Amino acid sequence: MKRSFTVVVSAAIVAAFSASLSAQWALHPKPTVPKGRDGKPNLSAPAPRTADGKPDLSGIWMRTNRTEAPGSAPAGQPPLATFGNIGVGFKEGLPYRPLAVDLVKKRVGALDNPDALCLPQGPLEYHLDPQPREIIQLPQKIVIVYESNYGIRTIYTDGRALPKQGEPQPYWHGYSVGRWDGDTLVVTSNNFRGAVTGLPGDGWLDGKGDPFTDALTLTERFRRVNFGQLNIDVTIDDPKAYTRPFTVRVEQEIVADGSEMIEFICHENQKFLKLTGREN
Amino acid sequence: MKTRVLVVLGGLGLLLASRPIAAHHSFTAEFDAAKPIMLTGAVTKFEWTNPHAWIYIDAKDEKGAVSNWGFELAAASGLMRSGWTRLTLKAGDVVTIEGTRAKNGSNNANAQTVTLASTGKKLFAGANTQTQP
Repeated sequence: MKRSFTVVVSAAIVAAFSASLSAQWALHPKPTVPKGRDGKPNLSAPAPRTADGKPDLSGIWMRTNRTEAPGSAPAGQPPLATFGNIGVGFKEGLPYRPLAVDLVKKRVGALDNPDALCLPQGPLEYHLDPQPREIIQLPQKIVIVYESNYGIRTIYTDGRALPKQGEPQPYWHGYSVGRWDGDTLVVTSNNFRGAVTGLPGDGWLDGKGDPFTDALTLTERFRRVNFGQLNIDVTIDDPKAYTRPFTVRVEQEIVADGSEMIEFICHENQKFLKLTGREN
Repeated sequence: MKTRVLVVLGGLGLLLASRPIAAHHSFTAEFDAAKPIMLTGAVTKFEWTNPHAWIYIDAKDEKGAVSNWGFELAAASGLMRSGWTRLTLKAGDVVTIEGTRAKNGSNNANAQTVTLASTGKKLFAGANTQTQP
């Protein structure tokens, strides 16, 4: 279900802001942010590069709130996903196998959503959460810190091969290796826990509960279009849950005002289980 | 009494205002959109916490009986991005809160707006529901 308070919310936020802002909010703008003639960050400046000439994806990123009507993605471009429903852009829906159909039915109400349980977010959830994430690009690996639920992923870019499915222990975030295809970082991940464990929170791609299994191979193509924008095309290849691979796009924008990540200890005051009647 | 040091950063405010406030939990699992509620009362407790901040108020029903109500807000981190701090509310502040009742019938609700009686200032409180399924 979707409830829109956009108008009220926008008015209230603007009202709150136009008055004052606490001095607790300390901004630390980076001197490396390119500026336009007006002195403001120039988001359409070229993407920065590391010493080895690769695009530098480092920075704090927020998802954009842009959405598309189903079926309206430009030709050759994957449809935009949303946090709630990654398949929203496909007129015909996602190519579910019966296993996926059953799981989505069982998940109505979203009680076992890992995000709601303060567990690690699923692929696409961590890309699309309204809280920011920070990409830290190092010479041999890339680390992504997701503010929501304190998620951390390591993407090895030292040339190692992806392990075989089932070799390492399965991870919430899978095992990820990255390589450059021109200016696009291609990250491939496998060895996910997946929905087959039957444990709450396992195998959720989005808030609706579109599933993935331990057969998932996840491919993410990161392209920093310019200083301000990062596109991530995510391909779900999971033959146990879907009849064919499919790809969706995530758009993110750089945080250029000098604001930073904020601590988020999810279990600090967790009342979800009580409010949903699963704990006294 | 206001002891906070406030800085006016209008331009920044608008910049931040364009950002979504953090949503976290499955709204529809906990709250019933068909049961709106509006209560006025004095704050008894303000929990500046994650994954959600909570405000508790003593509110009178139509018969004059006072009961304590809990209102779920966005995450503390998200509220901070929209200008709140842990000092925005304190025990004794009178507020009017509009929100949506908990499905389980308890004295809990999800807050969408919080209005301070002393100033009439309306503060956004809730999750960005666009992120929900």
